[in-house]
Amino acid sequence: MAREALGLVQGTVDVLILKTLTWAPMHGYGVSQWIRQRTDGALAVEDAALYQALHRLERKGWVESEWGTSDTNRRAKFYRITRDGRKQLQTDIAQLRRYVDALFKVLQTA
Amino acid sequence: MTHPPSSRGRRFFQFPRRTRGQIASEVDEELRFHLDRVAEGLMAAGWGTAEARQEAARRFGDLAYTNQYCRDEDARRESEKRRMTILEELRQDLRYAIRSLRAAPGFAVVALLTLALGIGANTAVFSVMRGVLLEPLPFAEPEQIVRVYHARPVDGIDRGAVSEPDFLDWRAESRRAQSMGAYFFADGLVGMDLTGRGNPERLSAALVTDGFFQTLGTPAHLGRAFAPDEHVPGRDRAVVLSHGFWTRRFGADTAIVGSTLILNDEPFQVVGVMPPAFTYPAAQQIDAWIPLSVFGPGQIGRARGVHFLSVIARRAPGVSDAELDAEISGIAARLSREYDDNPGWTDATTQRLSEAMLGGARRPLVLLMAAVAMLLIIACANIANLMFARATVRQRELAVRAALGAGRGRIARQLLTESLTLAGLGGALGVILGIVGVRALVGLGASELPRASSIRVDGTVLAFTALVSVAAGLLFGLAPSIRASSAKLAGALRSGARGSVGSAGQRLRSGLVVLEVALAVVLVVGAGLATKSFARLISVDPGFAPGGALVVEMNVPDRFQSREARLLYYQQVLETIRAVRGVQTAGSVRDLPLRGNGEGVRVGTAERPAAPGEGTRAQLHQISTDYFRALGTPLRTGRAFANTDHASAPPVVVVNEELARLLWPREPAAGVIGRVIPWGAAELTVVGVVGNIHQHSLAEAPEPAMYLHALQNFRSRMSIVVRTSGDPLAHVENVKNAIWSLEPNQTITSTTTLASVLGSDVARPRLLAWLLALFGFIGLTLGALGIFGVLAFAVNQRRQEIGVRVALGATPRTVLALVVGRGMLLALAGVAAGLTVAALVTRSMQSVLYGIEASDPLTFVQVLVVLLATALLASWIPARRALRIDPAVALRYD
Repeated sequence: MAREALGLVQGTVDVLILKTLTWAPMHGYGVSQWIRQRTDGALAVEDAALYQALHRLERKGWVESEWGTSDTNRRAKFYRITRDGRKQLQTDIAQLRRYVDALFKVLQTA
Repeated sequence: MTHPPSSRGRRFFQFPRRTRGQIASEVDEELRFHLDRVAEGLMAAGWGTAEARQEAARRFGDLAYTNQYCRDEDARRESEKRRMTILEELRQDLRYAIRSLRAAPGFAVVALLTLALGIGANTAVFSVMRGVLLEPLPFAEPEQIVRVYHARPVDGIDRGAVSEPDFLDWRAESRRAQSMGAYFFADGLVGMDLTGRGNPERLSAALVTDGFFQTLGTPAHLGRAFAPDEHVPGRDRAVVLSHGFWTRRFGADTAIVGSTLILNDEPFQVVGVMPPAFTYPAAQQIDAWIPLSVFGPGQIGRARGVHFLSVIARRAPGVSDAELDAEISGIAARLSREYDDNPGWTDATTQRLSEAMLGGARRPLVLLMAAVAMLLIIACANIANLMFARATVRQRELAVRAALGAGRGRIARQLLTESLTLAGLGGALGVILGIVGVRALVGLGASELPRASSIRVDGTVLAFTALVSVAAGLLFGLAPSIRASSAKLAGALRSGARGSVGSAGQRLRSGLVVLEVALAVVLVVGAGLATKSFARLISVDPGFAPGGALVVEMNVPDRFQSREARLLYYQQVLETIRAVRGVQTAGSVRDLPLRGNGEGVRVGTAERPAAPGEGTRAQLHQISTDYFRALGTPLRTGRAFANTDHASAPPVVVVNEELARLLWPREPAAGVIGRVIPWGAAELTVVGVVGNIHQHSLAEAPEPAMYLHALQNFRSRMSIVVRTSGDPLAHVENVKNAIWSLEPNQTITSTTTLASVLGSDVARPRLLAWLLALFGFIGLTLGALGIFGVLAFAVNQRRQEIGVRVALGATPRTVLALVVGRGMLLALAGVAAGLTVAALVTRSMQSVLYGIEASDPLTFVQVLVVLLATALLASWIPARRALRIDPAVALRYD
């Protein structure tokens, strides 16, 4: 790996996880793999932060979990995004977009 | 087959809750899975096993913290979920309860009305009972205060009044009484004329001695009570006002204290105002308290023989009632030996003040409370029965729910919520009924209830009602919901659409009906006894004609100082009233029948003179000419008084039949005329014999009485009986104006009719009879409803069986006998149990009954007949329905 993966801005971990789970229900390891592959390793979510986020999102009712069997035939905990989670994701994306737009406005005028 | 609307898409199942241990192991497993997968990836890339594991852990970050964080989040989620679930379930149950009640409006209306009636009656009676009996008396440590009476054992008098010298000696000598006071008061009879400020008014006042206020210990609302030196003649022109009078007459003006009122034409200084609840010794209303010393020996006798005071005492700390009683009895015994002008008064008795004030009201109120409690139990049994019936019908619905995952507890809880919702709604309606009921009760019985002013529906009463409602809900809801939830629900799904009651369910329901009928029997027996007693009471001949007579009470004012002036005024008042148009005649007496007992005297005859203090006891009444004619009391023989029986004429007396019989037992009435009764130094010649008058109460035998003409034995109090044509109240204004035309400042104590004087004597028994009759009727109706309900349900359940019987040739008579027989069996069991219980509990009614035994066999037989007839009627309708069952249809059914 030539470049160090980018650390994530606080709060974007949740958005990233929710977005990932809109594709399919998956376990924690799957989520971390999926993010790494989609960004070619440019974005890295620390595992500890990932699992903390998953459990926090579950308490908030944005994801729900169920035990299932993984592709390697082991018992694994699968997460699924809920209807409330999808709504939250839309809100978060809109907010993130405004934030990034504002940020770039400043950066480009400089 | 129908689905209840509620089962559509509703989640009645839930995931089992996770424990802390489960959470921990799940988090461990989840994280281990992740680490294993990362390590596996590294090993695939050529890492050694140990190194791969180490690297995976390193890349993960803070493992221990994350593990704990996840556990905490999960635990929080669990407890939030649990809270949500309980709230959500409760809301569901409530919504469901209301919906299912609305789905069965017939059931809901019957249950709600029954319940509201039961709870309302309990609320009303409890309010009255709390205000009258349970609210503490408005005195300091009321349980320390006793009434003390003088007793004369030779006459069987154990609660007599006390003379002032005796009272003063008792108070001076007693060490076991912390304080002692006395008063003279008779409701509506003792009073002072207030003049000089607005209209003249007769104040109802109590005359009190030093120690009266100290003994009761109630601090004044404003100013103070009497100081000791205000009971000293000459310095005693002081008055304490009641809160009611102060508010009514002076608009609660605080400047009243220290000002001067003109009472009986003399200035009195207002020293204080008592608090609102304090009306002692009046039961309900009093205007003022005046020092007794205001009335000198010339007005009220102070000899030992003149018993007129009521005495109250506060026990010293640590002294028992019996000890105080013994001490004063000892003093009384010694005084009667020392002074020979007071023979026979050798003893004293005591009674708790609360008992003296409220004793008479306690028994009827406790009876009513018991009656309404029974009513509520009947209502609950009835509703429980309805619930059982409904639960049976709803068995399939419940079975479906159980199959969808609802636990037994969940179903029981849901049914109980339904019961409690019903109870809550019933309670709310009941409170409204209760408030109406309290108003009605106080309106009907205000004159008969001590402390009626403290009766109100407040927080305590509402708390009581809430408690009763919940208890009722549990009572009628618990058994059906437990039974319904434990029934073999799976079986209900398999069997036909119709649920079936197990034999245990039938037994329980029959038991409830027996209970209902039994309680109804007790209520109806009580009602029967009370109404019969009342009927006997009002059929008693009072000894006078109550209809068509007006009563005006007044006093000859003190400003007529000479005897001649008073007698003249007395005669003029009566003559003026007799001249009013529509007035047939008018006569006066000191103590009106049922309002006072005259003066107690002891008399002998010329043949058998009585020693002082010995002889036959009699009531002495001072009356005017025409008194008996105005009252409608028959003259048996001889003559009544005439104006010629004046002060200088020979003294004459009229006796009643009872006294004539006691004094001259062997003489016929006519033989009594001309006999002589020694009277001090004089001799009274009997000129007439009149019929007996119930002077004290209809419930008590007439006392021996003798009548003197007021011209020969003057008393200033006049209770004028005005015999009129037509409605007596139509003449009130003319009669009053006639009196005022003679003397504009004359205060009139009260005007009423003779009929209402009689009515107030029977007001309490009448109220009790009416209420018990009402409760008995409701109880009977509910009992009949219970029998009807159980039979109608059974007929419905046994359609097939009845159909088969009819198909096999059963005659209508057999079918009728089957249904009616079962109803009558239930009724008989209930009646048998009820009569047994009634025989035991109605004994406690004896003291409120007149002229009838609590065990009156006729009443019991009548109740038996009424109950069985009602049961027959209640069974008949379902039986007719059974007759109409068409076997073909019934067998095809399902």
